[in-house]
Amino acid sequence: MPVHLQGPWNELFGRLGLLLIPHYNNPVIFFAFMLVTVGGTAVLTTLTILGRWGWLWRDWLTTVDHKKIGIMYVLIGLVMLFRGFFDALMIRSQQALAVGPNSPGVLGALHGYLPPFHLDQVWTAHGMIMILLAVTPILIGMMNLIVPLQIGARDMAYPYLNALGLWLTAVSAALVMIALFVGDFSHAGWVGLAPLTELAYSPGVGVDYWIWSIQIGSIGTTLGSINIIATIIKMRAPGMKWFRLPIFTWTSMATSIIGLTSFPVLGVALSLLTFDRYLGTHFFTAGLGGDLMMYTNLFWIWGHPEVYFVVLPAFGFLSEIIPTFSRKPLFGYTTMVLASFSIAGVSWLVWLHHFFTMGASPKVLAFYSITTMLVGIPTGVKVFNWVFTMYRGRIRMEVPMLWAVTSVFLLIIGGMTGMMLSIPAINYIVHNSVFVVAHFHNMFMVITYAAFGAIVFWWPKVFGFKLDERLGRMFFWLFSTGTALVFLPMYTLGLMGMTRRLDYISHPSWWPLLLIELCGIGFYLVSVFVFLGMIYVSYRDRASNAVTADDAWGTSRSLEWLTHTPVPFYNFAVTPIVHALDEVVWRREQGTLDRQPERYTDIHMPNNTGMPIIISGFTLICGFSMVWRIYWLALVSFIAIIALVLIRSFTKNPGYVITAEAIGELERTSRPHRQTEEIENPVSMGTGGGSMPNHGAPAARHPDY
Amino acid sequence: MKWAKRYVLYFRYLAYSPLLLLSGCSDTHFWLFDPKGLIADTELHYMIIDVTLMAIVIVPTTFLLIWVVWRYREKRRSAFAPEWSHSNVIEVVVWGIPLLIVGMLSYYSWRGIQAVNPYNPHALNSHGASTARSHKPLTVDVITTDWQWLFVYPNKHIAVANELVVPTGTKLHLKLTSTSVVNSFYIPQIVGQIYAMPGMRTKQSFEVDHPGSYHGFSAAFSGPGFSWMDFKLKAVPPVKFTAWIKKAGISKNTLNYASFSRFAEPTVNIERKIHYFSDVKTGLFAKVIKAVRSQRLHYVTPMAMTENMHAKIFRTHSN
Repeated sequence: MPVHLQGPWNELFGRLGLLLIPHYNNPVIFFAFMLVTVGGTAVLTTLTILGRWGWLWRDWLTTVDHKKIGIMYVLIGLVMLFRGFFDALMIRSQQALAVGPNSPGVLGALHGYLPPFHLDQVWTAHGMIMILLAVTPILIGMMNLIVPLQIGARDMAYPYLNALGLWLTAVSAALVMIALFVGDFSHAGWVGLAPLTELAYSPGVGVDYWIWSIQIGSIGTTLGSINIIATIIKMRAPGMKWFRLPIFTWTSMATSIIGLTSFPVLGVALSLLTFDRYLGTHFFTAGLGGDLMMYTNLFWIWGHPEVYFVVLPAFGFLSEIIPTFSRKPLFGYTTMVLASFSIAGVSWLVWLHHFFTMGASPKVLAFYSITTMLVGIPTGVKVFNWVFTMYRGRIRMEVPMLWAVTSVFLLIIGGMTGMMLSIPAINYIVHNSVFVVAHFHNMFMVITYAAFGAIVFWWPKVFGFKLDERLGRMFFWLFSTGTALVFLPMYTLGLMGMTRRLDYISHPSWWPLLLIELCGIGFYLVSVFVFLGMIYVSYRDRASNAVTADDAWGTSRSLEWLTHTPVPFYNFAVTPIVHALDEVVWRREQGTLDRQPERYTDIHMPNNTGMPIIISGFTLICGFSMVWRIYWLALVSFIAIIALVLIRSFTKNPGYVITAEAIGELERTSRPHRQTEEIENPVSMGTGGGSMPNHGAPAARHPDY
Repeated sequence: MKWAKRYVLYFRYLAYSPLLLLSGCSDTHFWLFDPKGLIADTELHYMIIDVTLMAIVIVPTTFLLIWVVWRYREKRRSAFAPEWSHSNVIEVVVWGIPLLIVGMLSYYSWRGIQAVNPYNPHALNSHGASTARSHKPLTVDVITTDWQWLFVYPNKHIAVANELVVPTGTKLHLKLTSTSVVNSFYIPQIVGQIYAMPGMRTKQSFEVDHPGSYHGFSAAFSGPGFSWMDFKLKAVPPVKFTAWIKKAGISKNTLNYASFSRFAEPTVNIERKIHYFSDVKTGLFAKVIKAVRSQRLHYVTPMAMTENMHAKIFRTHSN
């Protein structure tokens, strides 16, 4: 071993001997373990009884369809959102219980029920999961679902890479879940506070879980970003000029540029930390030439752009939802594009505001303070533009709009507090306090609200039925009550001087507010059940909630509403020709919205492939064995990954072709309401869809079809 | 019964009633709004400026949003402009106003940093000049360990752990470092934060004008003992301070590098014990930095140390 490890290690089993040290008697972990085991067994049993394994493998696990991949991304995000919420529940209850020197302690804790050993892991997991495994997958999933539809593409530019990105994200989530039961998780914060992450201060496997989970997941995210960029540049339908791109596609573009350029920085920072922990180097140690603030810099050079990586798609959601429900075009489209890219650009120049208090000179602080405030300008412009979009509109407060408008409100509050934090003189007194925690949760709520709005908004497009409105509203109000009750007291506690990451609260005067926060988290808890109820009821009543029109909301604007609801696997029967910024509105006005195309052409589609999930399986083994330092297994699985990538590179996979006749047949059966239009009313090329020669299609038909 | 149903709906707002508990917090607990030192006072001053300037935009925008959402609901059938999506005047205004506010805030941000710059705060300098004080500045070396505070008075050859005693009306010059991980030195009512980082030296300066006891703690998470890493700042009149120095000087515990490295072993300060040290060797601060840089000062944190806080392994690491 190149480094000295506490506890046992051998060549065959690595550090797995650590598991023999009996500290898995905690009922909280046991409960979580039972929950996951029972849930997992229920799912597996159901699949076996129904005999759906083949279906699962063929239709979902090996799919390269961007819509299915998007759905699975969102599903991973929602499951991890629940896990992260569970962590939040524990943090809030521990802090409400462990107040004052006389508060009792159980389960090994002096106060409350979670000693620092557990609680520190809980809030580390909470932060990391919420940002990287809940919000990020939900947003990438929505981009995956919507962007190709909005630009009139059949699929992403690299369908196989898309699936690989999804399954790497799944591996990242799996590693975090494994850490819950096999070993420990990091206790050094989701940011990995240096040098606390070094082997001397974190001798267990927790930090290694954190490193490998993020490292693997971020490869997936980087691949996803490459894919989105390539898709938007190369796969646009004819007539979809740059300034006809729907605004969500623009924000996806900006966000993916951030993702592509910033995630490698994180990869490098984590690799150097890995060298420190595995090879005994001194990149970020305090002594022997290490520079721990270098880690902090590198982390936030990724970390701050990551904030805009997640917020820009949310702004995109708002820019799609608000015009639809205001029955008006988005105010200041060009400005919105400009604002998105300004935010993306400035995001690179602000990272130092995360550690204003490290003692840098006033000139340095002033630079980063001013660049941080500059972000407020395009963000402010966006808020005004949404308001002027609603101005003189016909606003329908349907569920997506409810989420969207509240999101704008939250953005105003978050912007206000963000401007406070950006001034070093103020930052000195609120840095690391729960005021900061309230601020960035506030901003993440902006994203969450926009994302819930987007899920309700695009749900019918994907599944063909609307979500139950009554339960949707109930979910919104419960969730919002939770938000108010948790984060208003949190802001207040910050101004009272409470610092973050406390396991024990020494000031009883903070107790009432902590109790309000506990009430708030109770509302969130109820809202989770209402959310699940909403999904169940909507599915049960899917016949009565069914949407037959292509345009589920009646006032939609962008291209994705042009094709069927639910979207067929080939997206568009013929590649549409785009005439205007709001194509659906344009066609509605021309009266050509419902016209069938004159003729169909062959469609070239990619084949399903099991390779991404197999490669990811080996990645999981590789990551797990690196965490436990089972080097032989890590090496074997790594070689397997490389071999599979090579094999895949030399495999010719021409995809398959759906013939024009087959498409015509499918269209006639799935869209009976559009039958006779074309015969009576022949329209020029492109009005109802038009036809384009498909140069990419292989000459030989695929034998399967 | 329609009206009854309607009023029942209003009961949902009762959900927000726990917020009424907010009124229970008296203002004395709002450390940030109750500054007792010049630096904290200046920081609050800049917070007020910032919030006021932001309110100029935020408040009208919020009302505009509420008004627009209310006024243009579909039911009201107000003026409808289905095509309207551009106005040069509005564009200029919506870019111009944030730009203007950010410009003003940038100016105040710059002024603020100068005023509270930990290495040489303008606020203290101008204050000192105007009152023409006679006291010489006092130097204190702050060393954080896992998880205690050690305050060394290098010129007085004494040190005290987990309590900082200072004379009122005297400028304090602090040098800070850490033996292990990063901590943040923070006394909310007196002075803002500065990191104490291993192998590095940061500075802080402040002055306390009112005698009293103030709460200080580490604001940067530093491991399992972090929640108990508090200290008291006691500000006493200069006469009393001299007496205190004398009293601390008779402590039997002495402090050289060897005894310091015993003190610096991982300890969770659950009982918040205060230790006095006399005969503190000169140059201890520099020696600690040097030792950390060459990794001579190096402790092994036991795995799962706080898993069971009633267990023996934890007891040996707490006091």
